[in-house]
Amino acid sequence: MRVFHLSQPFIVKMSTILVLIIYLSSLSGCKRTDSVKKSAGTDAKLHGTITLSGAFALYPMTVKWAEEFRKLHPDVRIDISAGGAGKGMADALSGTVDLGMFSREIMPAEKERDVWWIAVTKDAVLPTISARNPVINELKKQGVTQVQFRAMFIDETLRDWGELLGSVPKAPIHLYTRSDACGAAGTWAQYLGGVQEDLHGIGVYGDPGLAEAVKKDPLGIGYNNTIYIYSAGTNQKYPGLEVIPIDINANGRIDPEEDFYDSMTAMMAAIAAGRYPSPPARELYFVARGKPESPVVCEFLKWILSEGQPYVSSAGYVPLSREVISEQLEKLR
Amino acid sequence: MRRKNIEERIFKSLAAAATYLIIAVLLFLIVVILKNGLRALDWGMLTKVPQGGFYFGEEGGILNAIVGSFYLALGATFLAFIIGLPVALYMNIHLLRQRFWLNRIRFLLDVLWGVPSIVYGAFGFTLMLLLGLRASLLAGILTVTLLIVPIMIRSMDEVLQTIPRGLLESAYALGSTRSEVAIKVYIRQALPGVITALLLSFGRGIGDAAAVLFTAGYTDYIPTSLNQPTATLPLAIFFQLSSPIPAVRERAYASAVVLTVIILIVSLAARLLSAKYREHVIK
Amino acid sequence: MHRRKIIDRLISGWMAAGLFFVLMIPLAIGLGLVLKSLPILKILALPELLGGSIWKPLSGQFGFKPFILSSVYVTLISFLIAGPVCLLSAIYLTQYASRRLLSLMQPVIDILAGIPSVVYGVWGVLVIVPFVIRLAELREVAISGYCLLSGGIVLAVMSIPFILNILIEVIQAIPIELKEASLSVGASYWETIKWVLLRAGFSGIMAAFGLGISKALGETIAVLMVVGNVVQIPQSLFEAGYPLPALIANNYGEMMSIPLYDSALMFGALILFVIIVLFNGLARLAINHGERYR
Repeated sequence: MRVFHLSQPFIVKMSTILVLIIYLSSLSGCKRTDSVKKSAGTDAKLHGTITLSGAFALYPMTVKWAEEFRKLHPDVRIDISAGGAGKGMADALSGTVDLGMFSREIMPAEKERDVWWIAVTKDAVLPTISARNPVINELKKQGVTQVQFRAMFIDETLRDWGELLGSVPKAPIHLYTRSDACGAAGTWAQYLGGVQEDLHGIGVYGDPGLAEAVKKDPLGIGYNNTIYIYSAGTNQKYPGLEVIPIDINANGRIDPEEDFYDSMTAMMAAIAAGRYPSPPARELYFVARGKPESPVVCEFLKWILSEGQPYVSSAGYVPLSREVISEQLEKLR
Repeated sequence: MRRKNIEERIFKSLAAAATYLIIAVLLFLIVVILKNGLRALDWGMLTKVPQGGFYFGEEGGILNAIVGSFYLALGATFLAFIIGLPVALYMNIHLLRQRFWLNRIRFLLDVLWGVPSIVYGAFGFTLMLLLGLRASLLAGILTVTLLIVPIMIRSMDEVLQTIPRGLLESAYALGSTRSEVAIKVYIRQALPGVITALLLSFGRGIGDAAAVLFTAGYTDYIPTSLNQPTATLPLAIFFQLSSPIPAVRERAYASAVVLTVIILIVSLAARLLSAKYREHVIK
Repeated sequence: MHRRKIIDRLISGWMAAGLFFVLMIPLAIGLGLVLKSLPILKILALPELLGGSIWKPLSGQFGFKPFILSSVYVTLISFLIAGPVCLLSAIYLTQYASRRLLSLMQPVIDILAGIPSVVYGVWGVLVIVPFVIRLAELREVAISGYCLLSGGIVLAVMSIPFILNILIEVIQAIPIELKEASLSVGASYWETIKWVLLRAGFSGIMAAFGLGISKALGETIAVLMVVGNVVQIPQSLFEAGYPLPALIANNYGEMMSIPLYDSALMFGALILFVIIVLFNGLARLAINHGERYR
């Protein structure tokens, strides 16, 4: 009467279960250990994981920073996903990621939950339309004012492209906005005197999604982060996408000093110099629940504020000024 | 009399049209997916991870999603199996006499089968926070396991129900205990059905996006431990489809094709295997 | 002998434990959702939550009506398309068509049922949205294509394999004696179908529809990709909607920043859970009731 015969499936099942339990419990221990493991002394070779999630605006920059940082510290694994600034904040506050990528002003409710933040770079949100828009040439010459944008996106009193230009009704305006909780919408709404939920329009997920939807619809209008409008590689806008110049002084036309949308370098220079209003230009932050304790994370942040800054311009963003940088470095102490 | 005939003929052609329409829609769907996806597929797409970030990078492929999905679906199927098989056996052997409870349990399982995956996703997210887990392979596996357990149990249950009672009774007559009957007799008899249940559950688990949306995270890399976030094919499609950057969209189409092909293989395999093994089953 | 008995006890115990665990799952889900919804239920009354039309979480207004109505509308549209198609097809396959066609249809149904939601979404974006834009152009309306109609069509296609499968089972379960009796008293095939089969299978057919509807109500990803996600009560087929599952999927990210938002979203999930469980429950009861007469 051989009971423990190896061929019995029950035994196999039981042992696999035991093995699985042992494996699982050993792995959940890694969570703590690998970020605490750091080489003694110099920061020669760091070891650990950093997880980030959040704003689409920061995604490409963070990816670039991660790539360069890993060249110096190949044993550090950096997991980056997007999902919108709201997700970044939510994940950071619940401890599911190390750092949240954030692209709008922090709200009081968030400050109450001891959020810690640090500015890392700067960019802007621009109003976007399809390159096939029927009145694009007039729009580029005339521009649109802040008041008119508000009338379109928030009050919905301006509903026609012709009316927007001050002439006869021509074609309806198709508004697009973001369906995920994000910084681009928050910042754009802030410029127009409201909050994300005041913005009307078809909700599309993600910045790339919004750009694509606007591209496809000749009557569409939306808003995007600069990094999804201009390609860093070509210094030009992505084909099919156009930007409505903002008529900042509201004089009914785009003056030479308001005209900086043709190339990425011109756009970024305008943002840096403050010629493009802020908002919708804004600083981009990393957020966390309290000051990060993991040494790997702190090293990464320090690196971003020092050796990481030169990568900012070529990646299509605006570098922080020196005063702002030293302020942030203070926060890291 | 004539009117009845005309009525019948109209009805019959409408009904036939409806049937062929359904077949046509399926073909159309597969053609569209294949057309867009095969264009994007090449060896590099299947063997590399995205370079430069999955939302943004212009190079690399979807290996992270393929491997991640397999890890996740295999893990969840395995867990659901070790929970589900005992339960299905218990229902059909130990509880065989208790019709009342059996019916209630089957009812409950059927209802669970109908719960939308987003609810499982929301529940999984809450569970994840409760257990202190991060968005990770483990959290994803746990959530998908919950999702597919009803499918696993009910499918196996259906098969076990077809095993002739005589088999059970003769085993008892020869002196075997209930668990011995379960393991030595029933599993062998129900093998085709068990495999079908496994395949069905695997197919459901690998394709579901809502359950992993909150719980598995996403990453450019292939996970090396249960605690890391993982890319999955459904989310690879969802996140990369609406990008203005063509290379990113290509990855989404490629993922769609890979996923569809996996499902096709799984569905057909389930059918073929159950037909083939039926030879060995005592009727 | 003792050893075998002990092993038997152990294994049986393990099995029973598994069963207990599985039965706890729906309870845990229900309880979890209720607990997480309590904060918002304490502040806003149920009628206000369900009937309110304004959704502005930042100002503490959580009216679920636009989402509930969007869900209902888009499900209704999908049902109006899928229901008749499935019924017609089921009757054809079981009564008129050759057996070969029926066995050909089985894998077709399986495959359609197995295709993941997200792939349907891709198909919807590539095919259905432009199609709906073209439809609207015929009526001289310029729309974006992301609307209730697109959502309804995609959902219809997704529901078809599900409903069809159950309908075929239901019709095949109707005792053949009924059919034979009807034919033997001189009714034609068509009359038999119309008056006898459909009557006998009525509860099963209703149940199949009920299950299809509840599946459509819960469908998240495919619909989210084509329905527009605009918080409004849609006034026409060509307007965008925002079904309840899409609300949860899109916004879970903002859950922490705004007070009560996470509780509201969990409440939304609770509504979904309750409605679907009810629908499913009733439908399954109807099927079981019908099967008792086999």
